[in-house]
Amino acid sequence: MRKSSHWGRRIGVVAIAVWSLFPLYWAVNVSLQTPAQAASRPAHYLPPTPSLGNYKALLVGDGDLQQTVRRATVNIFVECASATVLTVVIATLAAYAFARLQFRGRTVLFYVVLGTMAFPPYTTLIPLYRILSDVHLVNTYTGIVLVYASGFLPLATWILHNYMSALPVALEEAGRVDGATRMQILWRIVLPLARPGIVSTAIITFLFGWAQFLFPLVLSSDISTQPLTVAIAGMQGRHLVPYTLLNAAGVVALAIPAGIAVLMNRYIVSGLLTGSVK
Amino acid sequence: MARSTTLRRPARDRAGRRGGPLPYLLVSPLAAFIVVLALVPAVYTVVEAFFRVQPLNPPVAFSGLENFKNVLSNATLQTSIGNTVLYVVIGVTASTLLAIGMAVTLQQPFRGRSVLIAILVLPWALPGVVEGIVWGSIWDSNTGLFNSILHSLHLIDNYVVFLGENRFLTILGIELVQVWQITPLSTLLILAALQQIPSDLYEAAALDGASRWKAFRRVTLPLARPGITIAMVQAVIATLNVFDQPYVLNGSAATGSTVTMQTYFVSFQNLDFGAGYALSLLVTIATVVVSLVILKLVYRAVEY
Repeated sequence: MRKSSHWGRRIGVVAIAVWSLFPLYWAVNVSLQTPAQAASRPAHYLPPTPSLGNYKALLVGDGDLQQTVRRATVNIFVECASATVLTVVIATLAAYAFARLQFRGRTVLFYVVLGTMAFPPYTTLIPLYRILSDVHLVNTYTGIVLVYASGFLPLATWILHNYMSALPVALEEAGRVDGATRMQILWRIVLPLARPGIVSTAIITFLFGWAQFLFPLVLSSDISTQPLTVAIAGMQGRHLVPYTLLNAAGVVALAIPAGIAVLMNRYIVSGLLTGSVK
Repeated sequence: MARSTTLRRPARDRAGRRGGPLPYLLVSPLAAFIVVLALVPAVYTVVEAFFRVQPLNPPVAFSGLENFKNVLSNATLQTSIGNTVLYVVIGVTASTLLAIGMAVTLQQPFRGRSVLIAILVLPWALPGVVEGIVWGSIWDSNTGLFNSILHSLHLIDNYVVFLGENRFLTILGIELVQVWQITPLSTLLILAALQQIPSDLYEAAALDGASRWKAFRRVTLPLARPGITIAMVQAVIATLNVFDQPYVLNGSAATGSTVTMQTYFVSFQNLDFGAGYALSLLVTIATVVVSLVILKLVYRAVEY
């Protein structure tokens, strides 16, 4: 490598790091300041007197704001975790059938499932609202979790199908020779081998769930089921809270997916590439 | 590329093993979800776009192209169509160029590359609506970081209103937040294509005396086309449907409102579902058409 390339890369590396991290740093920085400090010109690049006051005001106490934030945090966990479990279980079973078994209608069903990924997600929003209202599932955990799962299933099935198709069949053959049933082969041989693919799918599904906004804004906007994303946008929309507090709320909502993204990075990258490279 | 979209017949499953209820049991939950919560709603959208569907003004009645005429002749909507075109052009161009630059930076292995990829992926993993809110304190007209920097550099005398006044500035500022979110996936897709390029091609180019720029133009770019195509298509889908970032950064104001936002307002504030269906259908058609155009213009099969 020539010298110039080293410098080029160094600049690139620094640019990627600053571009990706600085806006997040800025949110943390503002969240540790008082409204007066945050309003100073020029801005404080470091909090002059770092304080967790905004976080306390957001989470501790029994006012409307704190109750909303706490409830919305519970909601987003319940909804994302349920949708992830449901999606991964259903997608794993189906992916195994698509990857390893012969049955009538297999090709058609596979392409129909993948084809739904081509719809822009919001195409189905209005009918879903009407269907859920008809069966009284608007503003319920069940309703939003079913909708999330239907949206995440095609990609999850696709990732797991690709992953399982790439596994060697020799072990499964050996299992069959030993007289294992299809379900025993799936449970004892395929699932352990497919574990990294399953973990990738679960993480990506959870992150998708955490990022949802328009669907829950329409389908579960009531305080009893609204996720943190909808709650924070509501705080911002009504201009009820100073934006130092809003940034603290933002940091709370970003901390979980950011932690997952950093710790589970390997799984995310491999899952995304299994899912998108065609 | 290694993986193929085609569904290969499972080699080991001979006709003798065909049949039995097991495969159907395994796929039936998936099929039920897709039929009830994706196909049925999609059919609703396509059919009822041609009906008057207003819960406060029953009954539902066939209205031909009425919904399309209404939405397309509405001035607010025309503005938001123009806005959406700007969002798409800015977003797809910026995210693709940035992603090519980032992928080239990451192409050769170096110490700390996996850490940098972890950092790179972060904005993709986070909710767009919250990203919009935290970027709000960067663009803010009274206390924002960007104003502070420009002022410290003596590039402006007074703080500037970036969002909400000038249409182009508003859309540029908002779309940059979305670019921040979608560029990581584009980068990974292009990087995956770059890593398939055999290194002897670069060695051959160097032997021929090609400059680094020329090697990039003649080797890297053409061979990255499949990755660039997928990256651009996912950017088109994301930007044509942009909602979260403009919703929190600019509200319903016409300077930055998008077709998806209008769909939301028309359907759930005006309760005119028919018009909402028509808009959804138009966005879907636009997504398919633009994606196909990109496929045609950018994609070239690559074989090594």
